[in-house]
Amino acid sequence: MLLRRLFAAVLAPLALFAAAPASAEVVKTGHLEVELVSQEAAAVPGSTVFVALRQKIQAHWHTYWRNPGDAGDATKIVWTLPAGWTAGDIVWPTPERVRVGPLQDYAYSGEVLLPVPITVPASAKPGQTVTLQAAAAFLVCEEICVPEDAVVTLSLPVVAGPAKPDPKWGDTVGKVLAAAPKPAGLKATWKKDGETIRLSVTGASLRGADFADAYFFPYSGKAIDHAAPQAIERGAEGLTLSLTAGFDFGPEATEAPTELSGVLALKGRAYEITATPGETPAGSVGLGSLPAAGAGSTGGSQAAGGGDASGLAGGLPVALLFAFLGGLILNLMPCVFPVLSLKAASLAAHAHDAGRTRAQGLAFLAGVVATFIALAGLLIAVRAGGEAVGWGFQLQSPAVVAVLALLMLLVALNLSGVFEVGAAVQGAAGGVSAGSGLAGAFLTGALAVIVAAPCTAPFMAGALGFALTQPPAFALLVFLALALGFAAPFVILAFAPGLLKKLPRPGAWMDVLKHALAFPMYGAAAWLVWVFSQQAGGVALALLLAAAVLVAFAAWAYGLGETRRFAGKTPLVAFGFAVVGLAGGVLLTIGALKAPVPAAGPQTAEAAGPGLVAEPWSPERVAALQAQGKVVMVDFTADWCVTCKVNEKTALAGPRLADAFKAQNAVLLKADWTRRDATIAAALAEHGRAGVPLYLVYPKGAGAPVILPQLLTEGLVIEAVEKAAKG
Amino acid sequence: MITRRLIVASAPLVVLAPSFALAAPAPAFTARDIDGKTRSLAEFKGKTVVLEWVNEGCPYVKKHYSGNMQGLQQAATADGVVWLSVASSAPGKQGYFADGAQARTWMSAKGAKPTTLLLDPDGVVATAYKAKTTPHMYVIDPAGQLVYQGAIDDKPSNKVEDIAGAKNYVAAALSDLKAGRKVAVPASQPYGCAVKYKDA
Repeated sequence: MLLRRLFAAVLAPLALFAAAPASAEVVKTGHLEVELVSQEAAAVPGSTVFVALRQKIQAHWHTYWRNPGDAGDATKIVWTLPAGWTAGDIVWPTPERVRVGPLQDYAYSGEVLLPVPITVPASAKPGQTVTLQAAAAFLVCEEICVPEDAVVTLSLPVVAGPAKPDPKWGDTVGKVLAAAPKPAGLKATWKKDGETIRLSVTGASLRGADFADAYFFPYSGKAIDHAAPQAIERGAEGLTLSLTAGFDFGPEATEAPTELSGVLALKGRAYEITATPGETPAGSVGLGSLPAAGAGSTGGSQAAGGGDASGLAGGLPVALLFAFLGGLILNLMPCVFPVLSLKAASLAAHAHDAGRTRAQGLAFLAGVVATFIALAGLLIAVRAGGEAVGWGFQLQSPAVVAVLALLMLLVALNLSGVFEVGAAVQGAAGGVSAGSGLAGAFLTGALAVIVAAPCTAPFMAGALGFALTQPPAFALLVFLALALGFAAPFVILAFAPGLLKKLPRPGAWMDVLKHALAFPMYGAAAWLVWVFSQQAGGVALALLLAAAVLVAFAAWAYGLGETRRFAGKTPLVAFGFAVVGLAGGVLLTIGALKAPVPAAGPQTAEAAGPGLVAEPWSPERVAALQAQGKVVMVDFTADWCVTCKVNEKTALAGPRLADAFKAQNAVLLKADWTRRDATIAAALAEHGRAGVPLYLVYPKGAGAPVILPQLLTEGLVIEAVEKAAKG
Repeated sequence: MITRRLIVASAPLVVLAPSFALAAPAPAFTARDIDGKTRSLAEFKGKTVVLEWVNEGCPYVKKHYSGNMQGLQQAATADGVVWLSVASSAPGKQGYFADGAQARTWMSAKGAKPTTLLLDPDGVVATAYKAKTTPHMYVIDPAGQLVYQGAIDDKPSNKVEDIAGAKNYVAAALSDLKAGRKVAVPASQPYGCAVKYKDA
């Protein structure tokens, strides 16, 4: 400091001879060092020079943006300038979000430059050196707030020619100005929907932009509730943020606002926008939601790696990890039991042939991965086409369900020993059978995915929700991780001969096991038939059941034929019956699919268990019930989601729960996704999900819901509802 | 246990209490005052109530305790208005009063004249009202409706000299109420230091 003064003293006389570069002095105010710095080394008459107030802020302290948020106060500058010189408004850099307990502030930390355009009059005389003086007043806060003041000056020579950048600060000021939020011809509209202000921004510069952490900083301190999270929805042309209305938009507003202006901040860039009332443009929505931007730098209330939180803070790596874990856990979900039995049967059969077991394990892995990627690719393609579908969509089609039901039946019959696939080949060509075994393992993997994957497991939900909001390549990576996780246990088992050796030697026990394992498959077939009946109605059900009988007959006839062929007898008659049976089954299935679907009757309340009645869900119903002071629990479910059904039976049907709901004045709503439904898909996306189950508990009055885990217990639900009732 | 953990993890997703619309009932509360008495909003039914969030160390509070706040308190209480100062600073934070005596010492040093001061170190009352700053002012009408919330005046600064030219929203709301008019400005953006809530 002393040294600098000394220098200034020595250099000052030189200014008499040559226009010295801009010079200023640093003022210490207690928690800040403040000075004026210039973008250019000199001022040119008739031009504008940017002079910035530079604040070097003590660690952990903050100064504030133009709208300080919930508390704080913006820096103010009063200029004293030579005659004819004028100062414009501060060009505010994008602030940081600073969380103080329940409060949300918009502030700066570390070092910040607040540039101000200074207009140099044409009458300024080259060769002169002018002094610009700024009286700056700012509030600086950490735990406590301290108002500080500084009067800072800058000596600036006036030159005739083009000015050179200030050697010390020119670059820095230039960068601050370049990074400052600017209008970019973006179209912005806002629409009020209850307490929510939907702010939509579209434009060329937002096409394909990364909207993670997108955030709107309003210029008015009363426009929005600063502390409320801003839900992000992506679109092809831009995004839509769901803001929570502040006083300006509330009933207390004396006049309805016409504009909502502020800064839209994305990663590494920011735009100044002014929104006018209008409908949400199509290009600002439709590509799924992203977790709301984090609470801010000093937030103590951030979720600490909650595996089940719909927001995935860590981006792709975390999504990949969660997807892998989700895949692993998926093996334990009730959906997968029937398929587990299939895998168990195939492992048991080859347990003592290490080479073949390994090959089978890999084939199973290939089947799982290929099917996952194919399903994901299809899902992404369909969504890109604008359809609101989610994970598990394949079971929303009655045709797929019908075919799967029959396939399950065939697998079960096969396990029961009614027929053997490739028995003839095996008998004829001995060693070649490895090939058909591999195909079988591949198909087992495929089947496992198709039937089991619609369930979402813990960890998986967040990862899937994340995946579907990402570019396709990223999404496929997430699905790949999921597939690897799902296949991992069996692949590892296949590569661990030590474990497999523990199984008894092949023998008669294996047939018993195989026959026993047929029953879970019959169960799966029965379940799919029931799902089908829910989708397609009673007439179709009758036709499908008839088809099932014919298919079973065809399977038996085929088995008979194979046996005869193996014994050297002619199988033609048996095969003929098989073909006829199969054809009949196919025709009946087609008939079943064409059968008139009974019109969905007036949706009535439906009993979910003793005493507790689930009403049909709609977003409006949730808002209305909340407004009536009720706690609302929403059960996002589907008949094809076994996990959902298990939860409904074990956790949502008991009399204890009914009593708790009554006591807490709570209501259960059911959103049934058995058939496709865009509203439900949108609601799932809103919570970062792509599939069911999803359980939400809304507090009374208003406000966002708590998300419950995918596996419920009665106690957990009661606890959540009681908590919501307390508010 | 795992499920329990998941619930806890997802808890931060819950938005804090929603902002209440005006002309809505003022949130009920009970808190201990400087005499150790439990006071509740219910006991003041039929009277106009002013809530004033206070933190003796905050420069904005100091600004208004240069005489402005005391004057308002005196005029209001003389008019039959119940004026409750609320200290919501958590223990160890600026503006925390360990007991009533400590608060009383500050009050008499400043010549503060509220009906009483409520000690809210857990921030329960502040949370109910979503109090953001000190000062943060609320006016509740005799029917228990919240008719004003926000700043004390329209000059957000910490400089005493700005008081003179400022429009005082609380005084305006009180005179609107007294005259039986609708409160003209029912809300404004509060300014000042952040309420020193306990750490999450």
